[in-house]
Amino acid sequence: MSAVAQDVTLVELVDRVLNQGVTLTGDLVLSVADVDLVYVGLRVILASVGTLERLDSEAHA
Amino acid sequence: MSVLAPSTAWYVYGVVAAAHAAALDTTIVAEGDLAALVAAVPLSDFADDALPDRLNDREWVEAHVLAHQDVLQSVTAATTVVPFRFGTVYLEVEDLRAMLRARRDELRAALAYVEGRIELGVKAWAPDAEEDPAEAPASGRAYLQQRLGARDAARRAESALADAADDAHARLLRHAVDGVANRPQPRELTGRAGRMILNGAYLVDDPAPLHEEVAQLSDEHAAAQIVFELTGPWPPYNFVGEGA
Repeated sequence: MSAVAQDVTLVELVDRVLNQGVTLTGDLVLSVADVDLVYVGLRVILASVGTLERLDSEAHA
Repeated sequence: MSVLAPSTAWYVYGVVAAAHAAALDTTIVAEGDLAALVAAVPLSDFADDALPDRLNDREWVEAHVLAHQDVLQSVTAATTVVPFRFGTVYLEVEDLRAMLRARRDELRAALAYVEGRIELGVKAWAPDAEEDPAEAPASGRAYLQQRLGARDAARRAESALADAADDAHARLLRHAVDGVANRPQPRELTGRAGRMILNGAYLVDDPAPLHEEVAQLSDEHAAAQIVFELTGPWPPYNFVGEGA
């Protein structure tokens, strides 16, 4: 299966990696789920938005 | 902190079937027929008191979000994976094993649901509205009519865009096992011209029909300058539920 990620931005990644996926709470010692990710993500992303050329090229590798 | 406190913790990327885990180039912790994809991480990064600061460090987040995605993407190419959200960390391997036992049924169900399927992303972008250089109104009444007319036109345009996004999502869903229209990313985050009107994710058995539908939608909406973009295949982040 070849990746065809096009124009993948940090925003796109954060949209999935930080906001989606199985979220476990209550039974682990540490979890990002405890942190306000909307707020955190916003601050992080506002600092720099851009196409991650590296990811894109690796996705095609 | 006690001198006996561990300095590393176990970061969990996701879960695969144990039978398919041996061939992967990733550290695993197996329990029964499930295997967690893990990495030992420094506790100094993921401890409760350190994490908020780390998450506001753009370079740290970029590196770790990329690493999370890279691991899951490479595993996705080899076998079915249930991706975990970024930042799932256990202090002890035994805690991780206990989680795999306790959540065995739902993780197996999640694996079965995404087995052999891929996630694709489709975004639609509408052009920024252009201000018509209106002629100077001849009177107060004409000015009022001009303002009301512009307001109505803006409302109609907004409504047409919402309909176009709804229609596109419905048509894309026909080619998918499952799908979700996530909240469009705000302009401050996308940092590009145009406004995102659709932020969809679709779980498909076969990507080809969805690709064709995106091409078809692009053609139909070319005159309106609505642009459709397809990304993926992604690990099925959007289709593994919220956990419990």
